[in-house]
Amino acid sequence: MTRLLSAISTVLLISTPAFAHHGWGGQEEQVTSLTGTVVQGVSLAGPHATMKIKVGNDVWDLTMAPPARTANAGLKEGLIPIGATVMVRGNRNLDHARHEMKTIFVKHGTAEYHVYADRE
Amino acid sequence: MTLLPFGTHFGAPFLRWLEHSQLGVFTRSLGVWSYGIINLVHILGIVMLFGAILLLDLRLLGAWRSIPLAAISRPATTVAMTGFCVAVLSGVPMLTVKSSDYIGNPFLLIKFPAIALALVNVWLVHRSPAWAAHKVRDLTRREQMRLAAGAALSLTFWLTAITAGRMIGYW
Repeated sequence: MTRLLSAISTVLLISTPAFAHHGWGGQEEQVTSLTGTVVQGVSLAGPHATMKIKVGNDVWDLTMAPPARTANAGLKEGLIPIGATVMVRGNRNLDHARHEMKTIFVKHGTAEYHVYADRE
Repeated sequence: MTLLPFGTHFGAPFLRWLEHSQLGVFTRSLGVWSYGIINLVHILGIVMLFGAILLLDLRLLGAWRSIPLAAISRPATTVAMTGFCVAVLSGVPMLTVKSSDYIGNPFLLIKFPAIALALVNVWLVHRSPAWAAHKVRDLTRREQMRLAAGAALSLTFWLTAITAGRMIGYW
């Protein structure tokens, strides 16, 4: 039992997670807007839809709603081509060394995708 | 992550290869609910694995002595092995979906060694004379201690694996 407890506490001690997905606890309160070019298109695989855009010299990981919800917002794979310019709004990671944003809204040309409509 | 005996980018080439493998391409093509469903199957596998192991290990550690050990060990072993297979068969495709996301994730590097240790422990317990003996007769005090030690290690390794596995998504 001592071994068990020490194993659990070891795992807990090193877990100060930055919440890559599953939560907004690691994100800023304020909403940030970014405009950049798509370097990796929308993916509806995995726990959340994702996309990568380049802003200046930085590649940003955009995390959107879960796949089904993102698709329901109209944003499907292949709609936004690589190289396209997009404007996005969301809450960026508290750790500014990580270019990661929980994305609420995506605008591509005249198309607008409210992937987290309840957070706007 | 200085606690780990290797760099955080350990396994990066393998994870990149895994993401671009045929299985990764296939898993990503399965539709918007596929990840959630595969995740569900993975959880069911872990439930079977750990639920059965917990019963057996607690019995080996001294709980429910009135129930013959062999009456618990046979169904528990079958359910746990089935659960492990279900967890592996669902876990591998889940890992391929966005493998490169896990580069630098320390929990992945805790989880898999913990599973390896757990499996070595299973192998050592199952080849021990005490394990063979419990199927045909009552165990001596010494044999009971041997299996109890295996049970304590089993709980330690599997709980570490499950905890680290759950934390992967929160890194």
